[in-house]
Amino acid sequence: MSRARVANSTIYKGRSGQWTFVAHRTTGFLVFFFLLLHIIDVSLVNVDPELYDEVHELYGNVFLRLFTLGLLFALLFHALNGLRIIAVDFFPRAVRNERVLTGWVVFLTLAAGLPVAWVIMWPWLEGRF
Amino acid sequence: MASTVERPGSPIAPSAQPGRRPRQSFETWQWFFMRVSGLVLVFLALGHFTITHVINDVADTDSAFVANRWDNPVWRIYDWSLLALALFHGLNGLRVIMDDYIASPGKRAATKALLYAVSFGLFAYGTLTIVTFG
Repeated sequence: MSRARVANSTIYKGRSGQWTFVAHRTTGFLVFFFLLLHIIDVSLVNVDPELYDEVHELYGNVFLRLFTLGLLFALLFHALNGLRIIAVDFFPRAVRNERVLTGWVVFLTLAAGLPVAWVIMWPWLEGRF
Repeated sequence: MASTVERPGSPIAPSAQPGRRPRQSFETWQWFFMRVSGLVLVFLALGHFTITHVINDVADTDSAFVANRWDNPVWRIYDWSLLALALFHGLNGLRVIMDDYIASPGKRAATKALLYAVSFGLFAYGTLTIVTFG
């Protein structure tokens, strides 16, 4: 990577800002591709409702439940970090508390995500799937 | 070398630059769209996830569940709003990522053409699903 490339690319000055920037892009990218997949799987409800039910049953499978946990945490992080970005954009002085805000994003992602993860995995833990 | 894209980023800090307002370009508007759609999507997307994975178990959301839900036009509007905002929020996000990381103009144009074709195609297809169901 040349020096010029670095100079022109979007680069923050390391630390939490850099990591949330990378994580925001990664999670956004993942959620977008889930959306494309989801548009297709839902469309089956029109094509053939029985096929929809068959395909949909796969979502109850433990592997797709784990996949859903990925979606859950990506979605939560992206949403909460997006709120942090909006806060900093509209109240520029909030950037002084950048690290505290990032701490809140991570904390709330886990605080909301872990109980929901438990709920999603519960039918499998009970041995129903 | 990466091309420099005309992007004001966040038009922040009028206080830091007294008397200066950023020039309004497409990039200003997409910046604004990302904030507004993002804010709405916090509620729409997390609400949808809560309905399909917390209130109901995902294994129970079969075609009968969809039929019952889409019987009410409010839920069709909800789902269509979620589809439209999430898709264009994501499309624009990916456009920006492509501007940042694909240095070759030819490859960038080709990748974006694919992105736009897939996104608009699936937007039309998803809309069709919601509108013509039942």
